[in-house]
Amino acid sequence: MNRKKGDKGFESPRPYKLTHQVVCINNINFQRKSVVGYVELTIFPTVANLNRIKLNSKQCRIYRVRVNDLEAAFIYNDPTLEVCHHESKQNLNYFSNAYAAAVSAVDPDAGNGELCIKVPSELWKHVDELKVLKVHINFSLDQPKGGLHFVVPDMEGNMAERGAHVFSCGYQNSTRFWFPCVDSYSELCTWKLEYTVDAAMVAVSNGDLVETVYTHDMRKKTFHYMLTIPTAASNISLAIGPFEILVDPYMHEVTHFCLPQLLPLLKHTTSYLHEVFEFYEEILTCRYPYSCFKTVFIDEAYVEVAAYASMSIFSTNLLHSAMIIDETPLTRRCLAQALAQQFFGCFISRMSWSDEWVLKGISGYIYGLWMKKTFGVNEYRHWIKQELDQIVAYELKTGGVLLHPIFGGGKEKDNPASHLHFSIKHPHTLSWEYYTMFQCKAHLVMRLIENRISMEFMLQVFNKLLSLASTASSQKFQSHMWSQMLVSTSGFLKSISNVSGKDIQPLIKQWVDQSGVVKFYGSFAFNRKRNVLELEIKQDYTSPGTQKYVGPLKVTVQELDGSFNHTLQIEENSLKHDIPCHSKSRRNKKKKIPLMNGEEVDMDLSAMDADSPLLWIRIDPDMSVLRKVEFEQSDFMWQYQLRYERDVVAQEEAILALEKFPTPASRLALTDILEQEQCFYRVRMLACFCLAKIANSMVSTWTGPPAMKSLFTRMFCCKTCPNIVKTNNFMNFQSYFLQKTMPVAMALLRDVHNLCPKEVLMFILDLIKYNDNRKNKFSDNYYRAELIDALANSVTPAVSVNNEVRTLDNLNPDVRLILEEITRFLNMEKLLPSYRHTITVSCLKAIRVLQKNGHVPSDPALFKSYAEYGHFVDVRIAALEAVVDYTKVDRSYEELQWLLSMVQNDPVPYIRHKILDMLTKNPPFTKNMDSPLCNEALVDQLWKLMNSGTSHDWRLRCGAVDLYFTLFGLSRPSCLPLPELGLVLNLKEKKAVLNPTIIPESVANNQEPVISSNNHGQSVGFQNTFSNSQEEEEIDMDTVHDSQAFIYHHLNMLERPSTPGKEQSAGEINMHPVSAAPLSVFSKESNSSKHSDHHHHHHHEHKKKKKKHKHKHKHKHKHDTKEKEKDPFVFSNSPASARSIRSPSLSD
Amino acid sequence: GSKQAGTPADNYQLARRRTLQVVVSSLLTEAGFESAEKAAVETLTEMIQSYISEIGRSAKSYCEHTARTQPTLSDIVVTLVEMGFNVETLPAYAKRSQRMVITAPPVTNQPVTPKALTAGQNKPHPPHIPGHFPEFPDPHTYIKTPVSENNIFISFLILRKCKEKEMHPNPEPAKCLISVTLPLISEGRNFSQLPDLLCLPFSLLPVIAARPFTVPYLTALLPSELEMQQMEETDSSEQDEQTDTENLPLHMST
Repeated sequence: MNRKKGDKGFESPRPYKLTHQVVCINNINFQRKSVVGYVELTIFPTVANLNRIKLNSKQCRIYRVRVNDLEAAFIYNDPTLEVCHHESKQNLNYFSNAYAAAVSAVDPDAGNGELCIKVPSELWKHVDELKVLKVHINFSLDQPKGGLHFVVPDMEGNMAERGAHVFSCGYQNSTRFWFPCVDSYSELCTWKLEYTVDAAMVAVSNGDLVETVYTHDMRKKTFHYMLTIPTAASNISLAIGPFEILVDPYMHEVTHFCLPQLLPLLKHTTSYLHEVFEFYEEILTCRYPYSCFKTVFIDEAYVEVAAYASMSIFSTNLLHSAMIIDETPLTRRCLAQALAQQFFGCFISRMSWSDEWVLKGISGYIYGLWMKKTFGVNEYRHWIKQELDQIVAYELKTGGVLLHPIFGGGKEKDNPASHLHFSIKHPHTLSWEYYTMFQCKAHLVMRLIENRISMEFMLQVFNKLLSLASTASSQKFQSHMWSQMLVSTSGFLKSISNVSGKDIQPLIKQWVDQSGVVKFYGSFAFNRKRNVLELEIKQDYTSPGTQKYVGPLKVTVQELDGSFNHTLQIEENSLKHDIPCHSKSRRNKKKKIPLMNGEEVDMDLSAMDADSPLLWIRIDPDMSVLRKVEFEQSDFMWQYQLRYERDVVAQEEAILALEKFPTPASRLALTDILEQEQCFYRVRMLACFCLAKIANSMVSTWTGPPAMKSLFTRMFCCKTCPNIVKTNNFMNFQSYFLQKTMPVAMALLRDVHNLCPKEVLMFILDLIKYNDNRKNKFSDNYYRAELIDALANSVTPAVSVNNEVRTLDNLNPDVRLILEEITRFLNMEKLLPSYRHTITVSCLKAIRVLQKNGHVPSDPALFKSYAEYGHFVDVRIAALEAVVDYTKVDRSYEELQWLLSMVQNDPVPYIRHKILDMLTKNPPFTKNMDSPLCNEALVDQLWKLMNSGTSHDWRLRCGAVDLYFTLFGLSRPSCLPLPELGLVLNLKEKKAVLNPTIIPESVANNQEPVISSNNHGQSVGFQNTFSNSQEEEEIDMDTVHDSQAFIYHHLNMLERPSTPGKEQSAGEINMHPVSAAPLSVFSKESNSSKHSDHHHHHHHEHKKKKKKHKHKHKHKHKHDTKEKEKDPFVFSNSPASARSIRSPSLSD
Repeated sequence: GSKQAGTPADNYQLARRRTLQVVVSSLLTEAGFESAEKAAVETLTEMIQSYISEIGRSAKSYCEHTARTQPTLSDIVVTLVEMGFNVETLPAYAKRSQRMVITAPPVTNQPVTPKALTAGQNKPHPPHIPGHFPEFPDPHTYIKTPVSENNIFISFLILRKCKEKEMHPNPEPAKCLISVTLPLISEGRNFSQLPDLLCLPFSLLPVIAARPFTVPYLTALLPSELEMQQMEETDSSEQDEQTDTENLPLHMST
């Protein structure tokens, strides 16, 4: 359906076209955290009878709306404020449906919005001539909970001295949180942005700074920004604060902003950015589309990187000085990511949510190219492997990530994501983790497309998209051309086939239109007689998250005579593949063995099977399928692969496989790799951990000093005194990373009593004692932090865990040493804090390890003090993680409450999100577990949290949903008492059914049908109002008479021009059409006496009718439903559909 | 470049020190060494400097003992004898043939002795003391402050206050405080009665309580003063090594 649409070009869901918007913020009060301003939208009606304009707005208090200088009536109605209105209905399945319905009821991509403005009747004639309308809205924001974030440090001085600042933030399209707009990525217009701020402050926003004007009293100034490139409201951003300003010395059109005192760090951090610019401009053969670029580094960031039109907002914690090693590559990656999104995401926007994968895919893909160029092929391949492993693990766990969901007109029966506990129809209903994985899969699929059509064509496609967009963007007065700046899946695929002439449809079908990954199991046998390798490749395509793969698969076989690639055709029923071998088994030992890369090496072949010429085999070495491979080959083959295969991915696979073969030969292979300086450092680091595991399995036969100790001594310690480490010199980064990792891995060693060998512990303590960083150019904070991690790793469970009061004296002497070290570090940090407080973070983790192992009493007090607002965010997260863990282990209700209250009240959105995330990953209990924590009050609390407590932050709400799912599952939480009514009377059909709320999970798992088939009043009533415009229409026709009262009621309201759009009152208004009526059917007390009975009656009628419809649909055949699916589209394209229940009345 | 920018006192010290280094190097050459490690030269310089200082200090006290202000030759002789030096051998040593002549240290301005740091309010003269008598010294020089845990705690607080206000306390006292505070802390004394020190939950080792910052990112991101110092040191030591390698062989070869 979308494809068809794309072919015809973009069709707006709105009956008008927005061409220009003015945002003017006159006053920002940091003390009261409030904002006052107005917006003015210039729109052209596209249909003659446009009488209502729907816009997006949340949180804003709207004072006054004028259309062409005439007062206009408006309604503010936001169903997402409170999703469900029925207290007792507490199953998640129901919630998710209701939430999805609520979001789509205000979805700008469906032409909806929270704010509905009635065009004054005086202008109707004007509208009929399709003449321009100017919609002027005065609004204010008071203590916004989302969208705009204020950071106001509590100290002396004025706001500029305190470093107070404010910035826009949010997940996906969240601009509606701070000014009324069409909050869609597909509605582009030009912008004029004005901000009046204190003279000491700087306002940074999108586009060109035209001028700054002082007010008459010289105490304030106004920043005027113009953005002439058509841009979606969702890409508009703002940051105001007493920023220090740095004009990039290499590119004068780039400006960097940071908070006071951080300028030296900013200089160092951004000194690299111009190279990223050059790289992207070169590969895309396209100039950076905007005339300027601004980077702003702010505190309490919502996400590390947020890209907006011509501006990116970063977390201030990415800044670093030249002394810091570890953060440098991470920060550069963030900068590069942000810049990639400037091209694809900001400049080129998307047509609809289902096209999001193209943008994320392309920006992720070109970012990958930058990685390859900057950090090398090894790092790139390692990264691809890491991302692949992540997506595979996630899909197998949750059952699939779908890149390009196609929705058939909102019928949930065809819901492509029925395995998930949330709807994937809207970005705002997605779990954050799912969205992260979605982005990951998108760029991996782009890479697959590149494999298919070659990089050259790929870049040509990107260039084509960009040049089309830039031509369109320069058409200032032809706004219909602007849709060229929107990318759609079909448009993208069409460009690919035009440019490359190749058909990639099967690839798209497999990875984009379908969810799931491939799971291969491989094993082989060598047939000596035929000199043939018999390879067996099985697939698991029945478990959740998997799919069947049919097509080519590359297999690389390293033989004595060289490396050979074979392409197998994976088909339905063929499991076995015969691959002829090129070499005879044993041969002249003198000859060198050629490798894949042409290199020829000497190998010691004594380990291999004398009968077979096979050294090792790899399946899909290029990662050209999204898959997981479990391959069986003997230990010596893995060892050869580790030593001689030059691909880092192969080496890493070999290391992981060798864990299962604790033999001296494996040990030797690993130590050799560890010592080899040409080897990629990440492989060497991985080898450390594998070596520790092998050593532990071989503990009874292990000879010589503990693994890695002599190696470490040789590499990093004094020659004369092996226990004393050399003064730090981190000039060689590879050996720095190795030096950091080896002690951590060594501490995992265990002796026959399963204790960490004394020798190792003493060695690590000596490393700490003799650590000397005076002569080093770099900071050693990460190194010291890892030494503490090593100490924590060496801790084993205490022998006797009883409740005796522990003192320093009866503590295990080793543990005492560790504890003293930790205490000393922790105290030192107060006096001489380390960069990002890495050492405190490690100390907190180590203390939790000591607590968990019973060496010191479990107590969350210390962690709670470090988790308070005002500590550095990394420290807080580490402390909170410990509290979460404590909550789980000690089943503490009090701590859980403490955490949940922090979720509701903490000033930092990221912390709130992170607590929910950590609770979901390490839950105090899960749905099948009996826990004293699981009680009705908790259910209520979480329900409230996701139902109404988190309406200001999409990400947080979805986090709460995730947690609710983890704790209670999809159906009604088991700890709730059975509802009073076990049976529900179905009035329509005159029969009784079991109350759906108490149907056990197994049944409820069959999801939506349960609700709809039982005709439960609420759900039906709900969908009635929101999701199904077609039925609304019908009902309107049917019940014109009934609706009169209802309409009259609303008109009354509309007649008052300056109805405050305040949240509360908004909620009330919201109640009328949405909730009151559905409530009335089954709720025991009729609490909605505010409204006329007539009104109620009307809704009651609705419901009955609705039930009938719903019921019919259920029993109709698929053919029928398909027809239905099309209907809404017909309506949505016609002007009439933009009206909902009330529309006819308004025009009457 | 950075050295010229130093204070006159620093320049003065540095020039003397350089001369002493040259002296040591030439003595070593005399003794038959061809090269010396930098650290060894440094140690010897340190020794010779303290030896000379000690001579000066004792000579001064001998002279003050006899109520004079200018030391005489006899004061120095007595001092040398007292320190176990055979004074008789000195003239012969001074006239030895292999003796190298060393240029006098470059003339630098005698540093102005900075006014002693005043702490607190000096007590006014009581009525029975005439006004032309010198003022009372700073109170801290005679006020008695018995050492107790509380004091250490307070000095720790002072130190932190300094840090918070971004005042730069003299690095020396800062280091002292750290070295005083930390051993006490790690010895496991009971600090629990102090509000600012929190004992680890297991009441074993006292940990300084976590205090939230008003602007947490500043301390977390900016390099600490110590690190800045180190940065400068590593930078300047690199320079030193350069100049030393240039300088030392020069002196050695003469």
